[in-house]
Amino acid sequence: MSISAADAAARSSQESSPVGGGRRKPIAVRRRRLGEVPAAWLLIIPVLILFAITVIYPLVETIRLSFFDIKGLGKPKFIGTGNYIKLFTDPAFRNTLWTTLMFTLGTTTITVSLGWFLAMLCSFAPQRTLVFRVMIFAAFGISEAVSGYMWISMLRPDQAGLLNSVIGLFSPGFAHPWLGDPNTALWMIIVAASWSGVGLPLMLCFAAVQGIPRTVLEAAYMDGAKPFAIMRFIMVPLSMPGVRVAIFINLLGALRAFDIIYVLTGGGPVRSTETVGYFMYRESMTQFKLGYGAAATVILLVAVMVVSIPAIIQRTAGAK
Amino acid sequence: MIGRVPNWIVWVVGVIACIWVIPIIGIVVTSVRPPADVTLGWWRLDNIRFTLDAWMRVWDEYPLANAFWTTLWITLIGTSATMLLTPAAAYAFHFLKFPFRRTILVIIINAFVLPVQVVVIPLFQLWRDTGLIDNILAVLIPYVGLSFAWSIFLVKNFMEDFPKELIEAARIDGCGPLATFWFVVLPNSLAAVFAVGILQFLWCWNSLLLPMLYLRTNIPLPVLLTRVSGTYDLNWDLRSVAAIVTTIVPLIVFLVFQRQFAAGSQTRTGAKE
Amino acid sequence: MIKFKGVLGRRALLSGIATAAMLVMGGAALAQDISGELAILQWQGGVDAEMWAKLEADFVAQHPGVTVRELAITAQGDARGGIRTAILGGEKVDLIINTWPAFRKELADAGILRGLDDNWTALGLDTTLSQSWRDLGISDGVSYGVPYTYGDRSGIWYKTSQLKDAGVEVPKTWEEFIAAIKTLKAAGYDTPIPMPAKYWAHGEWFETLLLRTGGVEAAAKLAAHEIPWTDEVVKTALRKYAELLNAGCCGTPEQMFAGDWDMSADQIFKAGTGNFLLVGMWVNARAKGEYGLTEGVDYSLFQFPSLGLGHDDTSSVDAKELLATSNGANPDAADAFLTYIVSPEATKILADYGYASPSSNADTSLLGPVQQQATAAVAASKVQFVLGDLLPGDLVDEYRVQLQKFLQDPSDANIDAVTAAIEAKAAESY
Repeated sequence: MSISAADAAARSSQESSPVGGGRRKPIAVRRRRLGEVPAAWLLIIPVLILFAITVIYPLVETIRLSFFDIKGLGKPKFIGTGNYIKLFTDPAFRNTLWTTLMFTLGTTTITVSLGWFLAMLCSFAPQRTLVFRVMIFAAFGISEAVSGYMWISMLRPDQAGLLNSVIGLFSPGFAHPWLGDPNTALWMIIVAASWSGVGLPLMLCFAAVQGIPRTVLEAAYMDGAKPFAIMRFIMVPLSMPGVRVAIFINLLGALRAFDIIYVLTGGGPVRSTETVGYFMYRESMTQFKLGYGAAATVILLVAVMVVSIPAIIQRTAGAK
Repeated sequence: MIGRVPNWIVWVVGVIACIWVIPIIGIVVTSVRPPADVTLGWWRLDNIRFTLDAWMRVWDEYPLANAFWTTLWITLIGTSATMLLTPAAAYAFHFLKFPFRRTILVIIINAFVLPVQVVVIPLFQLWRDTGLIDNILAVLIPYVGLSFAWSIFLVKNFMEDFPKELIEAARIDGCGPLATFWFVVLPNSLAAVFAVGILQFLWCWNSLLLPMLYLRTNIPLPVLLTRVSGTYDLNWDLRSVAAIVTTIVPLIVFLVFQRQFAAGSQTRTGAKE
Repeated sequence: MIKFKGVLGRRALLSGIATAAMLVMGGAALAQDISGELAILQWQGGVDAEMWAKLEADFVAQHPGVTVRELAITAQGDARGGIRTAILGGEKVDLIINTWPAFRKELADAGILRGLDDNWTALGLDTTLSQSWRDLGISDGVSYGVPYTYGDRSGIWYKTSQLKDAGVEVPKTWEEFIAAIKTLKAAGYDTPIPMPAKYWAHGEWFETLLLRTGGVEAAAKLAAHEIPWTDEVVKTALRKYAELLNAGCCGTPEQMFAGDWDMSADQIFKAGTGNFLLVGMWVNARAKGEYGLTEGVDYSLFQFPSLGLGHDDTSSVDAKELLATSNGANPDAADAFLTYIVSPEATKILADYGYASPSSNADTSLLGPVQQQATAAVAASKVQFVLGDLLPGDLVDEYRVQLQKFLQDPSDANIDAVTAAIEAKAAESY
């Protein structure tokens, strides 16, 4: 343990050396400064090495596996594109696509808009809202298994459920099986997932807006600008990086969501809440059809790349 | 302090925060009431008794202190490595020109789609071959390696409205790319870096699947506390304690880093306009 | 119990004599000779983990030369993912704890398991475990599993005061059971059977109904896909299930889909809106611990009512077993542990935790009254493993979803549709 820790420390100090080097000799750099390309490689090499081990290698392995038929611990059998063909004809998989779309759009819209809105409000009074921000962010830190249990108890189908008893105050005897009704189950999952997710855009947008120098805000106040105007012209543009990142993390988090769905509905009733992430988890971890699960992962990866590459290229084009 | 902040703003945020915290109150209440009293819901008031039984049991039966230090140690290394490497790479991707820049960036960012479950088995074999099972590197390397997809995206996005004139000025002053990064870009990207720090800390701290499979002797808190419930003894009181114990530290970190956002904004004062 | 089948083959007889001779000569030494590390793959948490720590400590106390290493797979949800990952990653253990027959077959097909037929007698398992328990641990004709605990899955839990107040006798026959449901509904219980159909527990009713309509043979054939799901046996069982639903046992499908067995138990024992629960023996621990009820007084269980179709002597059971591996480093210690797990000492520890052991060394009087009743019922029955754990992974999933569809519409036409859909999946799963 101690040896490995020292090892890790040594490694991390090695990795940081390019940065440290820059700090130690700022003067010497002036004459013999590193060209842009070597400097760039120096900065990204540690990232690339770690990335290659933890992502590229497993990814190649995943693509390879997706051409095999694997059932549990049995011997893998090469079947070419068999898994892909089967996926496209699997009604359970096709069914997940629509659910995933609803789930992803639902959670991302709710989380990002609400989180952004709260971040804007909090930016007016950073100190006085600190404790509220912590309260909202706390939901983000609770494991989904435990928060899922809380939601189950609140959404109980009988009159004992918190939601049912609150509604029961206005309409006595009200009892709706929120998680058992295919019409409401997905919405309840979206609510529960959004509940834990709002902390992220709140934090990111708030961080982005904190870049505004106080003097600017104060000057605006002096000039008699209304809060809405300040928000409109100063805060909103500045919060955009936070919004973009929050959307990105949310989208991809939604594609992989598993725990919350498993705990709240188990993908049911009758598969009505199975998302792609749930499907992948079920196929690769529970049923251990690694090849099939791998093929689903590859399809998802390709789909996301098709959507994201133009956006990234467009964004990176602006860099000098 | 800015004067004239309308009070309704604080009120609105406060009310939403109070609604938000209801399930968390549920967790706290569940952890201090006898399970029999909360079977039908933690908010029931028909029988009000409090007990620290669940807390005592978790404290007595599980080596919390050891797991706590393991988690803290792993999380701190994992978080600082990401906080150090990410801005450097994001800077390179955003401000420097080099071959394959876009290709590499696209690959790194899209890797976020890759589910951990897919990474788990190939890495398990790799760690066995290299003898890293039960070594904290077995979880540290993927913690850091898998964080780049979102963290580089995050920092790079925050760098997008970084004033180009400052970079030009630094260049004219004779700063090379590395010095520009260290003296000009990094100090002005602290808000983004701390946001990365908060998220990475939280995700490392709560990580379950990787340490569950790769660590044996010194296991982190979430793995240890997963064992409080059996297949059919659900023990929600113990699990609530576990949830509180594991969440409290990231919350403190969040509080501390939140202050850094403000600090970040001050250093940036001259940057705008 | 299943009758002792067939005649001892000559080979078995010879090997029996040979091992008996070995035992006489080296038997005493065998127990002391083992040493080294025994690795056990253990994936359970909570009290089960605690019980395993006790069992291992007791074993080490008996065999001081041995140290036990527990390869603890911490699992969330289905433990098999973690177990497979560890095995594929190259972990080697001597013993694996298992509760899924389908998973045993998977491990055996992968060549990881060591057949126990040659050692069965030498380990003394022939005297401690009856043939029917041995049969439950067989995959493809080879004995692999040594069951160490089991539970009755055909027992229906109820709260005694509810039936007494409604003037309902414990139902013996299907007709009485349906009548009881109607009486209880009239007495104000909304859902006499709060059906937990969220994950898998709605399959329990079908599985015992299948046993009672077609017997263990039909259930075993269905599990092996030797008869199709469209067989009349399956349809008859579903029609019986439909009688229950049509009697208004369980409320709306939405109510059924909303919860798992724990919520159903809450509704019976805590909220008092339901009466009957068909699920495993683990309810016992919850009734005592969570609800503070007294076993046998406040609540009890009765065996599934008789259908009168000639197979009422059958019960569905679950079991946990130990599997010995072929790649373990210490097979001798593993063998010693297999003998230990059915010993009086081990069964005593199991009983302390409320687990019934199939071993003849087990003292059933150590168990609570309801448990004793359940073990007696199982002992008097032909047993069959829970169907859901026998089916291949992707089929069991489809089977549970299709049963959910059946709950939505228990008509004859839908029974045809549902069985056809399961059969279609089964056709590609084997």
